[in-house]
Amino acid sequence: MDAAAEISQESGFTGESGAARIQERLQKRHQERIDDAERRKEAKESRSVAEEKGDYFFGTFNKERESIEDILSSCSGADRAVLTQKLEEATAKLLQLQKFLSDSTMFLKPYDLRQAQAALQKLQTSLTETREEGLPKKKFAFRTRTKAKDKSSAPEADTSPDAVTPAESGTSEVDGSAASVQCGISNMDNQCLTKTAEEIQKQDVLLSHLTNCKVHLFGAPSTLHLKHIDSCEILCGPVSSSVFIDQCKNSTLAFPCQQLRTHNTTDTQVYLHVTSRAIIEDCRGVSFAPFSWSYPTLEEDFAVSGLDQNLNNWSQVDDFNWLAAGTPSPNWTVIPEGDRRTSWDP
Amino acid sequence: MGLLTILKKMKQKEREMRLLMLGLDNAGKTTILKKFNGEDVSTISPTLGFNIKTLEHRGFKLNIWDVGGQKSLRSYWRNYFESTDGLVWVVDSADRLRLEDCRQELSSLLQEEMLAGATLLVFANKQDLPGALSKEAIKEALALDQIKSHHWCIIGCSAVTGENLLAGVDWLLEDIAARIFTTD
Repeated sequence: MDAAAEISQESGFTGESGAARIQERLQKRHQERIDDAERRKEAKESRSVAEEKGDYFFGTFNKERESIEDILSSCSGADRAVLTQKLEEATAKLLQLQKFLSDSTMFLKPYDLRQAQAALQKLQTSLTETREEGLPKKKFAFRTRTKAKDKSSAPEADTSPDAVTPAESGTSEVDGSAASVQCGISNMDNQCLTKTAEEIQKQDVLLSHLTNCKVHLFGAPSTLHLKHIDSCEILCGPVSSSVFIDQCKNSTLAFPCQQLRTHNTTDTQVYLHVTSRAIIEDCRGVSFAPFSWSYPTLEEDFAVSGLDQNLNNWSQVDDFNWLAAGTPSPNWTVIPEGDRRTSWDP
Repeated sequence: MGLLTILKKMKQKEREMRLLMLGLDNAGKTTILKKFNGEDVSTISPTLGFNIKTLEHRGFKLNIWDVGGQKSLRSYWRNYFESTDGLVWVVDSADRLRLEDCRQELSSLLQEEMLAGATLLVFANKQDLPGALSKEAIKEALALDQIKSHHWCIIGCSAVTGENLLAGVDWLLEDIAARIFTTD
Protein backbone atom coordinates (compact mmCIF):
# COMPACT_ATOMS: atom_id res chain seq x y z
CA MET A 1 0.00 0.00 0.00
CA ASP A 2 2.71 2.45 1.06
CA ALA A 3 4.89 1.53 -1.83
CA ALA A 4 2.03 1.95 -4.28
CA ALA A 5 1.21 5.36 -2.83
CA GLU A 6 4.82 6.44 -3.03
CA ILE A 7 5.10 5.34 -6.61
CA SER A 8 2.08 7.26 -7.72
CA GLN A 9 3.35 10.27 -5.81
CA GLU A 10 6.81 10.17 -7.29
CA SER A 11 5.64 9.54 -10.79
CA GLY A 12 3.28 12.44 -10.32
CA PHE A 13 6.13 14.81 -9.54
CA THR A 14 9.10 13.60 -11.52
CA GLY A 15 7.58 11.92 -14.53
CA GLU A 16 9.59 9.81 -16.98
CA SER A 17 13.05 10.57 -15.59
CA GLY A 18 12.23 8.96 -12.17
CA ALA A 19 11.31 5.55 -13.58
CA ALA A 20 14.82 4.12 -13.23
CA ARG A 21 15.06 5.30 -9.63
CA ILE A 22 11.75 3.74 -8.75
CA GLN A 23 12.90 0.50 -10.27
CA GLU A 24 16.02 0.67 -8.15
CA ARG A 25 14.10 1.38 -4.94
CA LEU A 26 11.69 -1.47 -5.56
CA GLN A 27 14.59 -3.79 -6.10
CA LYS A 28 16.13 -2.69 -2.83
CA ARG A 29 12.89 -3.18 -0.90
CA HIS A 30 12.45 -6.61 -2.38
CA GLN A 31 15.96 -7.58 -1.29
CA GLU A 32 15.32 -6.30 2.24
CA ARG A 33 12.17 -8.33 2.48
CA ILE A 34 13.94 -11.52 1.44
CA ASP A 35 16.76 -10.91 3.92
CA ASP A 36 14.29 -10.29 6.67
CA ALA A 37 12.42 -13.50 5.97
CA GLU A 38 15.72 -15.37 5.93
CA ARG A 39 16.70 -13.96 9.31
CA ARG A 40 13.39 -14.85 10.84
CA LYS A 41 13.59 -18.38 9.51
CA GLU A 42 17.03 -18.83 11.01
CA ALA A 43 15.93 -17.50 14.36
CA LYS A 44 12.97 -19.85 14.39
CA GLU A 45 15.12 -22.83 13.57
CA SER A 46 17.59 -22.04 16.31
CA ARG A 47 14.72 -21.91 18.80
CA SER A 48 13.07 -25.22 17.96
CA VAL A 49 14.55 -28.35 19.47
CA ALA A 50 15.41 -31.41 17.48
CA GLU A 51 13.38 -33.61 19.81
CA GLU A 52 10.25 -31.63 19.08
CA LYS A 53 10.14 -32.51 15.44
CA GLY A 54 7.67 -34.85 13.89
CA ASP A 55 10.52 -36.72 12.17
CA TYR A 56 12.44 -37.35 15.34
CA PHE A 57 9.26 -38.39 17.12
CA PHE A 58 8.26 -40.85 14.45
CA GLY A 59 11.78 -42.24 14.18
CA THR A 60 11.87 -43.07 17.89
CA PHE A 61 8.25 -44.11 18.04
CA ASN A 62 8.56 -46.57 15.19
CA LYS A 63 11.78 -48.03 16.55
CA GLU A 64 10.13 -48.70 19.91
CA ARG A 65 7.03 -50.05 18.24
CA GLU A 66 9.05 -52.50 16.18
CA SER A 67 10.91 -53.71 19.24
CA ILE A 68 7.61 -54.41 21.02
CA GLU A 69 6.31 -56.22 17.94
CA ASP A 70 9.48 -58.30 17.91
CA ILE A 71 8.96 -59.30 21.54
CA LEU A 72 5.37 -60.24 20.86
CA SER A 73 6.17 -62.28 17.78
CA SER A 74 8.87 -64.17 19.67
CA CYS A 75 6.29 -65.17 22.26
CA SER A 76 4.65 -67.98 20.35
CA GLY A 77 5.93 -71.33 21.50
CA ALA A 78 7.87 -69.98 24.46
CA ASP A 79 7.30 -71.72 27.77
CA ARG A 80 5.31 -70.13 30.57
CA ALA A 81 8.05 -68.51 32.60
CA VAL A 82 9.77 -67.02 29.57
CA LEU A 83 6.43 -65.91 28.20
CA THR A 84 5.44 -64.16 31.42
CA GLN A 85 8.75 -62.34 31.44
CA LYS A 86 8.42 -61.32 27.80
CA LEU A 87 4.89 -60.11 28.27
CA GLU A 88 5.94 -58.07 31.26
CA GLU A 89 8.72 -56.51 29.26
CA ALA A 90 6.34 -55.71 26.42
CA THR A 91 3.81 -54.19 28.83
CA ALA A 92 6.47 -52.00 30.41
CA LYS A 93 7.73 -50.85 27.01
CA LEU A 94 4.22 -50.13 25.85
CA LEU A 95 3.59 -48.02 28.93
CA GLN A 96 6.78 -46.10 28.28
CA LEU A 97 5.76 -45.52 24.71
CA GLN A 98 2.37 -44.27 25.83
CA LYS A 99 4.11 -41.81 28.14
CA PHE A 100 6.42 -40.71 25.33
CA LEU A 101 3.40 -40.03 23.17
CA SER A 102 1.55 -38.07 25.84
CA ASP A 103 4.71 -36.04 26.47
CA SER A 104 4.87 -35.24 22.78
CA THR A 105 1.27 -34.17 22.27
CA MET A 106 2.22 -30.50 22.58
CA PHE A 107 4.09 -30.36 19.29
CA LEU A 108 2.51 -33.13 17.25
CA LYS A 109 0.05 -32.38 14.51
CA PRO A 110 -3.44 -33.74 15.23
CA TYR A 111 -3.19 -36.16 12.34
CA ASP A 112 0.16 -37.55 13.51
CA LEU A 113 -1.17 -37.83 17.04
CA ARG A 114 -4.17 -39.83 15.85
CA GLN A 115 -1.92 -42.08 13.81
CA ALA A 116 0.36 -42.72 16.79
CA GLN A 117 -2.58 -43.42 19.07
CA ALA A 118 -4.04 -45.86 16.58
CA ALA A 119 -0.69 -47.64 16.38
CA LEU A 120 -0.53 -47.87 20.17
CA GLN A 121 -4.07 -49.20 20.32
CA LYS A 122 -3.15 -51.88 17.82
CA LEU A 123 -0.13 -52.86 19.86
CA GLN A 124 -2.21 -53.04 23.01
CA THR A 125 -4.70 -55.33 21.31
CA SER A 126 -2.05 -57.66 20.01
CA LEU A 127 -0.42 -57.71 23.44
CA THR A 128 -3.72 -58.72 25.02
CA GLU A 129 -4.25 -61.36 22.38
CA THR A 130 -0.79 -62.80 22.89
CA ARG A 131 -1.36 -62.88 26.61
CA GLU A 132 -4.70 -64.62 26.33
CA GLU A 133 -3.28 -67.12 23.89
CA GLY A 134 -0.18 -67.89 25.94
CA LEU A 135 -1.51 -67.56 29.46
CA PRO A 136 -5.19 -68.47 29.50
CA LYS A 137 -7.04 -67.19 32.54
CA LYS A 138 -7.54 -69.57 35.40
CA LYS A 139 -11.00 -69.89 36.85
CA PHE A 140 -11.15 -68.35 40.28
CA ALA A 141 -11.68 -70.80 43.10
CA PHE A 142 -11.05 -70.81 46.81
CA ARG A 143 -8.26 -73.15 47.70
CA THR A 144 -8.06 -75.05 50.93
CA ARG A 145 -4.67 -74.36 52.30
CA THR A 146 -2.87 -75.87 55.21
CA LYS A 147 -3.01 -73.75 58.28
CA ALA A 148 0.16 -71.88 59.03
CA LYS A 149 1.44 -73.42 62.23
CA ASP A 150 3.88 -70.71 63.09
CA LYS A 151 1.50 -68.01 64.20
CA SER A 152 4.15 -66.05 66.02
CA SER A 153 5.75 -65.24 62.69
CA ALA A 154 2.61 -63.44 61.56
CA PRO A 155 3.49 -59.80 60.91
CA GLU A 156 3.24 -57.77 64.11
CA ALA A 157 0.86 -54.89 63.74
CA ASP A 158 2.98 -51.77 63.76
CA THR A 159 0.59 -49.25 65.14
CA SER A 160 2.87 -46.23 65.29
CA PRO A 161 0.85 -43.69 63.34
CA ASP A 162 3.70 -42.07 61.43
CA ALA A 163 5.17 -45.25 60.02
CA VAL A 164 4.04 -45.76 56.48
CA THR A 165 6.19 -48.65 55.37
CA PRO A 166 8.13 -47.81 52.24
CA ALA A 167 7.47 -49.58 49.00
CA GLU A 168 10.62 -51.69 49.16
CA SER A 169 9.13 -53.98 51.80
CA GLY A 170 7.94 -55.97 48.83
CA THR A 171 4.79 -57.63 47.65
CA SER A 172 5.98 -61.21 48.01
CA GLU A 173 5.98 -60.96 51.78
CA VAL A 174 2.43 -59.67 51.73
CA ASP A 175 1.29 -62.46 49.48
CA GLY A 176 3.11 -65.05 51.54
CA SER A 177 1.01 -64.42 54.59
CA ALA A 178 -2.10 -65.55 52.71
CA ALA A 179 -1.01 -69.16 52.89
CA SER A 180 -3.39 -70.21 55.63
CA VAL A 181 -6.98 -71.19 55.88
CA GLN A 182 -9.60 -68.91 57.37
CA CYS A 183 -10.38 -69.62 60.98
CA GLY A 184 -13.98 -70.22 61.99
CA ILE A 185 -17.07 -72.35 62.44
CA SER A 186 -19.77 -72.97 59.81
CA ASN A 187 -22.97 -74.94 59.25
CA MET A 188 -23.78 -76.20 62.74
CA ASP A 189 -27.08 -76.86 64.54
CA ASN A 190 -27.71 -77.36 68.25
CA GLN A 191 -24.08 -77.42 69.34
CA CYS A 192 -21.92 -76.05 72.11
CA LEU A 193 -18.71 -74.85 70.49
CA THR A 194 -15.52 -73.50 72.00
CA LYS A 195 -12.34 -72.07 70.54
CA THR A 196 -9.23 -71.41 72.57
CA ALA A 197 -6.87 -68.46 72.51
CA GLU A 198 -4.27 -70.46 70.55
CA GLU A 199 -6.79 -71.07 67.79
CA ILE A 200 -8.08 -67.54 67.32
CA GLN A 201 -5.34 -65.19 68.56
CA LYS A 202 -4.71 -62.53 65.89
CA GLN A 203 -6.86 -64.48 63.42
CA ASP A 204 -9.76 -63.31 61.31
CA VAL A 205 -12.63 -65.44 62.56
CA LEU A 206 -15.78 -66.24 60.61
CA LEU A 207 -18.91 -67.80 62.11
CA SER A 208 -21.59 -68.58 59.56
CA HIS A 209 -24.82 -70.55 59.20
CA LEU A 210 -25.21 -71.42 62.87
CA THR A 211 -28.58 -72.28 64.40
CA ASN A 212 -29.32 -72.87 68.08
CA CYS A 213 -25.64 -72.89 69.02
CA LYS A 214 -23.67 -71.68 72.01
CA VAL A 215 -20.28 -70.41 70.96
CA HIS A 216 -17.47 -69.38 73.30
CA LEU A 217 -14.41 -67.80 71.75
CA PHE A 218 -11.69 -67.31 74.34
CA GLY A 219 -8.90 -65.10 73.05
CA ALA A 220 -8.28 -61.95 71.04
CA PRO A 221 -8.98 -62.31 67.31
CA SER A 222 -8.09 -59.62 64.77
CA THR A 223 -11.58 -59.38 63.35
CA LEU A 224 -14.84 -61.26 63.74
CA HIS A 225 -17.49 -61.86 61.08
CA LEU A 226 -20.92 -63.27 61.95
CA LYS A 227 -23.20 -64.22 59.09
CA HIS A 228 -26.53 -66.10 58.97
CA ILE A 229 -26.86 -66.62 62.69
CA ASP A 230 -30.18 -67.80 64.14
CA SER A 231 -31.06 -68.23 67.82
CA CYS A 232 -27.49 -68.44 69.02
CA GLU A 233 -25.50 -67.23 71.98
CA ILE A 234 -22.08 -66.01 70.88
CA LEU A 235 -19.50 -64.79 73.37
CA CYS A 236 -16.09 -63.62 72.25
CA GLY A 237 -12.94 -62.11 73.76
CA PRO A 238 -11.61 -58.67 72.75
CA VAL A 239 -11.55 -58.13 68.97
CA SER A 240 -8.74 -55.75 68.06
CA SER A 241 -10.43 -54.19 65.02
CA SER A 242 -13.97 -54.57 63.71
CA VAL A 243 -16.86 -56.95 64.25
CA PHE A 244 -19.08 -57.36 61.20
CA ILE A 245 -22.55 -58.85 61.60
CA ASP A 246 -24.91 -59.71 58.75
CA GLN A 247 -28.24 -61.61 58.78
CA CYS A 248 -28.50 -62.42 62.43
CA LYS A 249 -31.72 -62.99 64.39
CA ASN A 250 -33.05 -63.94 67.84
CA SER A 251 -29.56 -64.12 69.27
CA THR A 252 -27.50 -62.90 72.17
CA LEU A 253 -24.01 -61.61 71.48
CA ALA A 254 -21.25 -60.35 73.77
CA PHE A 255 -17.80 -59.03 72.87
CA PRO A 256 -15.43 -56.08 73.18
CA CYS A 257 -14.25 -54.56 69.88
CA GLN A 258 -12.92 -51.41 68.26
CA GLN A 259 -15.91 -50.93 65.98
CA LEU A 260 -19.16 -52.80 65.37
CA ARG A 261 -21.03 -52.91 62.08
CA THR A 262 -24.44 -54.59 62.26
CA HIS A 263 -26.50 -55.33 59.15
CA ASN A 264 -29.90 -56.96 58.46
CA THR A 265 -30.21 -58.06 62.03
CA THR A 266 -33.43 -58.48 64.01
CA ASP A 267 -34.36 -59.13 67.64
CA THR A 268 -30.84 -59.51 68.90
CA GLN A 269 -29.22 -58.43 72.15
CA VAL A 270 -25.66 -57.18 72.10
CA TYR A 271 -23.60 -56.91 75.29
CA LEU A 272 -21.02 -54.59 73.93
CA HIS A 273 -17.72 -52.95 74.71
CA VAL A 274 -16.79 -50.68 71.80
CA THR A 275 -13.96 -48.15 71.83
CA SER A 276 -14.98 -46.18 68.75
CA ARG A 277 -18.53 -46.56 67.46
CA ALA A 278 -21.25 -49.12 66.78
CA ILE A 279 -23.49 -48.74 63.74
CA ILE A 280 -26.61 -50.53 62.56
CA GLU A 281 -28.04 -50.68 59.05
CA ASP A 282 -31.31 -52.33 57.98
CA CYS A 283 -31.87 -53.64 61.50
CA ARG A 284 -34.92 -53.95 63.76
CA GLY A 285 -35.26 -54.74 67.42
CA VAL A 286 -31.57 -54.66 68.25
CA SER A 287 -30.84 -53.85 71.87
CA PHE A 288 -27.60 -52.95 73.59
CA ALA A 289 -26.11 -53.25 77.06
CA PRO A 290 -22.55 -52.96 78.37
CA PHE A 291 -20.31 -56.01 78.00
CA SER A 292 -20.52 -58.12 81.12
CA TRP A 293 -19.20 -61.57 80.21
CA SER A 294 -15.96 -62.51 81.88
CA TYR A 295 -13.47 -65.37 81.81
CA PRO A 296 -10.14 -65.96 83.55
CA THR A 297 -7.80 -64.59 80.85
CA LEU A 298 -9.97 -61.66 79.76
CA GLU A 299 -7.54 -59.05 81.11
CA GLU A 300 -4.61 -60.53 79.20
CA ASP A 301 -6.66 -60.74 76.02
CA PHE A 302 -7.60 -57.08 76.41
CA ALA A 303 -3.89 -56.32 76.55
CA VAL A 304 -3.23 -58.40 73.41
CA SER A 305 -6.04 -56.68 71.51
CA GLY A 306 -4.80 -53.22 72.42
CA LEU A 307 -8.32 -52.06 73.27
CA ASP A 308 -8.82 -49.52 76.03
CA GLN A 309 -10.73 -51.26 78.78
CA ASN A 310 -11.87 -47.97 80.27
CA LEU A 311 -13.39 -46.58 77.09
CA ASN A 312 -16.81 -47.98 76.21
CA ASN A 313 -19.22 -46.25 73.83
CA TRP A 314 -21.76 -49.07 73.87
CA SER A 315 -24.76 -46.74 74.05
CA GLN A 316 -23.73 -44.46 71.14
CA VAL A 317 -25.17 -46.32 68.18
CA ASP A 318 -25.42 -44.74 64.71
CA ASP A 319 -28.30 -45.95 62.56
CA PHE A 320 -27.65 -45.49 58.83
CA ASN A 321 -31.39 -45.69 58.18
CA TRP A 322 -32.21 -43.00 60.71
CA LEU A 323 -30.38 -39.77 60.07
CA ALA A 324 -32.89 -37.43 61.72
CA ALA A 325 -31.09 -35.56 64.47
CA GLY A 326 -32.91 -35.14 67.74
CA THR A 327 -35.34 -38.05 67.50
CA PRO A 328 -33.87 -41.42 68.48
CA SER A 329 -33.89 -44.30 66.02
CA PRO A 330 -36.78 -46.75 66.51
CA ASN A 331 -34.56 -49.60 65.33
CA TRP A 332 -32.49 -50.03 68.49
CA THR A 333 -32.90 -49.66 72.24
CA VAL A 334 -30.89 -49.86 75.44
CA ILE A 335 -31.71 -52.93 77.53
CA PRO A 336 -33.15 -51.69 80.85
CA GLU A 337 -30.77 -52.39 83.72
CA GLY A 338 -33.16 -54.78 85.43
CA ASP A 339 -33.47 -56.94 82.30
CA ARG A 340 -29.74 -57.34 81.62
CA ARG A 341 -28.11 -60.71 81.92
CA THR A 342 -25.67 -61.08 84.73
CA SER A 343 -24.89 -64.77 84.63
CA TRP A 344 -23.22 -66.29 81.58
CA ASP A 345 -22.55 -69.80 82.79
CA PRO A 346 -23.63 -72.48 80.38
CA MET B 1 -3.68 -24.81 20.65
CA GLY B 2 -6.94 -26.54 21.40
CA LEU B 3 -9.11 -26.25 24.45
CA LEU B 4 -7.73 -29.50 25.81
CA THR B 5 -4.21 -28.14 25.69
CA ILE B 6 -5.25 -25.05 27.56
CA LEU B 7 -6.96 -27.13 30.20
CA LYS B 8 -3.90 -29.33 30.53
CA LYS B 9 -1.72 -26.29 31.00
CA MET B 10 -4.01 -24.94 33.68
CA LYS B 11 -3.98 -28.20 35.57
CA GLN B 12 -0.25 -28.40 35.22
CA LYS B 13 0.20 -25.09 36.94
CA GLU B 14 -1.81 -26.26 39.91
CA ARG B 15 -0.44 -29.82 39.98
CA GLU B 16 -3.63 -30.75 41.72
CA MET B 17 -5.35 -34.13 41.65
CA ARG B 18 -8.65 -35.35 42.91
CA LEU B 19 -8.74 -38.92 44.20
CA LEU B 20 -11.94 -40.71 45.14
CA MET B 21 -11.72 -43.60 47.57
CA LEU B 22 -14.56 -46.10 47.45
CA GLY B 23 -15.26 -49.70 48.43
CA LEU B 24 -17.64 -51.78 50.51
CA ASP B 25 -18.11 -50.90 54.17
CA ASN B 26 -15.46 -52.29 56.51
CA ALA B 27 -12.88 -52.35 53.69
CA GLY B 28 -10.57 -49.91 55.48
CA LYS B 29 -10.92 -46.75 53.40
CA THR B 30 -10.76 -44.31 56.29
CA THR B 31 -7.93 -46.27 57.90
CA ILE B 32 -5.91 -46.04 54.68
CA LEU B 33 -6.55 -42.32 54.44
CA LYS B 34 -5.59 -41.65 58.05
CA LYS B 35 -2.57 -43.93 57.99
CA PHE B 36 -1.33 -42.31 54.81
CA ASN B 37 -1.69 -38.93 56.46
CA GLY B 38 0.12 -40.15 59.58
CA GLU B 39 -2.84 -39.99 61.93
CA ASP B 40 -3.97 -42.32 64.70
CA VAL B 41 -5.99 -45.21 63.27
CA SER B 42 -7.24 -46.75 66.52
CA THR B 43 -10.16 -44.36 67.03
CA ILE B 44 -11.78 -44.64 63.60
CA SER B 45 -15.56 -45.07 63.54
CA PRO B 46 -17.64 -46.34 60.62
CA THR B 47 -17.94 -43.40 58.21
CA LEU B 48 -21.33 -41.74 58.38
CA GLY B 49 -20.97 -39.53 55.31
CA PHE B 50 -17.52 -38.71 54.01
CA ASN B 51 -14.04 -37.45 54.90
CA ILE B 52 -11.91 -35.18 52.77
CA LYS B 53 -8.19 -34.63 53.18
CA THR B 54 -5.93 -32.33 51.24
CA LEU B 55 -2.31 -33.27 51.39
CA GLU B 56 0.94 -32.60 49.57
CA HIS B 57 2.80 -35.57 48.19
CA ARG B 58 5.69 -35.58 45.70
CA GLY B 59 4.95 -32.01 44.71
CA PHE B 60 1.31 -32.73 44.00
CA LYS B 61 -1.63 -31.41 45.88
CA LEU B 62 -3.96 -34.34 46.51
CA ASN B 63 -7.60 -33.92 47.36
CA ILE B 64 -8.64 -37.31 48.69
CA TRP B 65 -12.32 -38.02 49.17
CA ASP B 66 -13.22 -40.97 51.37
CA VAL B 67 -16.92 -41.75 51.11
CA GLY B 68 -18.70 -44.20 53.43
CA GLY B 69 -19.33 -47.64 51.96
CA GLN B 70 -22.50 -48.72 53.77
CA LYS B 71 -25.22 -49.97 51.49
CA SER B 72 -27.42 -47.00 52.31
CA LEU B 73 -24.63 -44.59 51.29
CA ARG B 74 -23.66 -46.20 47.99
CA SER B 75 -26.38 -44.42 46.04
CA TYR B 76 -24.70 -41.14 47.01
CA TRP B 77 -21.31 -42.16 45.59
CA ARG B 78 -22.22 -40.60 42.24
CA ASN B 79 -22.33 -37.17 43.86
CA TYR B 80 -18.57 -37.38 44.22
CA PHE B 81 -17.66 -38.57 40.71
CA GLU B 82 -17.19 -35.21 39.04
CA SER B 83 -13.64 -34.39 37.89
CA THR B 84 -12.14 -37.42 39.60
CA ASP B 85 -8.60 -38.10 38.32
CA GLY B 86 -8.05 -41.32 40.22
CA LEU B 87 -10.34 -43.92 41.74
CA VAL B 88 -9.02 -45.93 44.70
CA TRP B 89 -11.05 -49.10 45.19
CA VAL B 90 -10.43 -50.66 48.59
CA VAL B 91 -11.11 -54.36 49.17
CA ASP B 92 -11.20 -56.28 52.45
CA SER B 93 -9.08 -59.23 51.29
CA ALA B 94 -10.30 -61.39 54.17
CA ASP B 95 -14.00 -60.88 53.44
CA ARG B 96 -14.51 -63.77 51.03
CA LEU B 97 -18.28 -63.80 51.42
CA ARG B 98 -18.74 -60.36 49.91
CA LEU B 99 -16.24 -60.55 47.06
CA GLU B 100 -19.06 -60.98 44.57
CA ASP B 101 -20.78 -57.85 45.93
CA CYS B 102 -17.46 -56.13 45.65
CA ARG B 103 -17.01 -57.17 42.03
CA GLN B 104 -20.47 -55.98 41.07
CA GLU B 105 -20.12 -52.59 42.74
CA LEU B 106 -16.77 -52.02 41.05
CA SER B 107 -17.94 -53.05 37.62
CA SER B 108 -20.97 -50.75 37.80
CA LEU B 109 -18.67 -47.90 38.85
CA LEU B 110 -16.45 -48.46 35.86
CA GLN B 111 -19.41 -48.01 33.55
CA GLU B 112 -20.06 -44.53 34.92
CA GLU B 113 -19.43 -41.93 32.28
CA MET B 114 -18.18 -39.39 34.80
CA LEU B 115 -15.40 -41.77 35.85
CA ALA B 116 -14.44 -42.67 32.29
CA GLY B 117 -11.09 -40.89 32.36
CA ALA B 118 -10.04 -41.92 35.85
CA THR B 119 -7.14 -44.23 36.68
CA LEU B 120 -8.08 -47.18 38.90
CA LEU B 121 -5.98 -48.34 41.84
CA VAL B 122 -7.25 -51.42 43.68
CA PHE B 123 -5.96 -51.84 47.21
CA ALA B 124 -6.21 -55.47 48.36
CA ASN B 125 -6.26 -54.36 51.98
CA LYS B 126 -5.87 -56.27 55.26
CA GLN B 127 -2.97 -58.37 54.05
CA ASP B 128 -1.86 -58.45 57.69
CA LEU B 129 -4.71 -60.88 58.46
CA PRO B 130 -3.75 -64.56 58.26
CA GLY B 131 -6.91 -65.40 56.29
CA ALA B 132 -6.48 -62.67 53.67
CA LEU B 133 -6.58 -63.66 50.01
CA SER B 134 -3.56 -62.74 47.92
CA LYS B 135 -3.77 -59.88 45.50
CA GLU B 136 -3.73 -62.42 42.64
CA ALA B 137 -6.84 -64.10 44.03
CA ILE B 138 -8.52 -60.71 44.45
CA LYS B 139 -7.55 -59.82 40.90
CA GLU B 140 -9.30 -62.92 39.61
CA ALA B 141 -12.32 -62.56 41.89
CA LEU B 142 -12.88 -59.01 40.71
CA ALA B 143 -12.14 -59.94 37.07
CA LEU B 144 -9.71 -57.06 36.79
CA ASP B 145 -8.10 -58.52 33.69
CA GLN B 146 -11.28 -57.79 31.82
CA ILE B 147 -11.03 -54.07 32.45
CA LYS B 148 -10.09 -52.42 29.18
CA SER B 149 -11.65 -49.03 29.79
CA HIS B 150 -9.31 -47.77 32.51
CA HIS B 151 -5.64 -47.91 33.43
CA TRP B 152 -5.59 -50.11 36.52
CA CYS B 153 -3.25 -51.71 39.03
CA ILE B 154 -3.78 -53.91 42.08
CA ILE B 155 -1.57 -53.66 45.16
CA GLY B 156 -1.71 -55.78 48.28
CA CYS B 157 -1.49 -53.58 51.35
CA SER B 158 -2.24 -53.27 55.02
CA ALA B 159 -3.70 -50.05 56.33
CA VAL B 160 -2.90 -51.10 59.90
CA THR B 161 0.83 -51.58 59.28
CA GLY B 162 1.02 -49.07 56.45
CA GLU B 163 2.60 -51.64 54.16
CA ASN B 164 2.56 -50.74 50.46
CA LEU B 165 0.30 -47.71 50.83
CA LEU B 166 3.04 -45.48 49.42
CA ALA B 167 3.73 -47.83 46.54
CA GLY B 168 0.08 -47.75 45.55
CA VAL B 169 -0.37 -44.01 45.75
CA ASP B 170 2.91 -43.43 43.89
CA TRP B 171 1.79 -45.64 41.04
CA LEU B 172 -1.52 -43.79 40.89
CA LEU B 173 0.13 -40.36 40.84
CA GLU B 174 2.55 -41.40 38.13
CA ASP B 175 -0.18 -42.75 35.92
CA ILE B 176 -2.38 -39.70 36.36
CA ALA B 177 0.53 -37.32 35.87
CA ALA B 178 1.50 -39.02 32.61
CA ARG B 179 -2.03 -38.51 31.42
CA ILE B 180 -2.93 -34.98 32.45
CA PHE B 181 0.32 -33.11 32.91
CA THR B 182 2.29 -32.96 29.69
CA THR B 183 5.91 -32.00 30.11
CA ASP B 184 7.01 -28.70 28.58
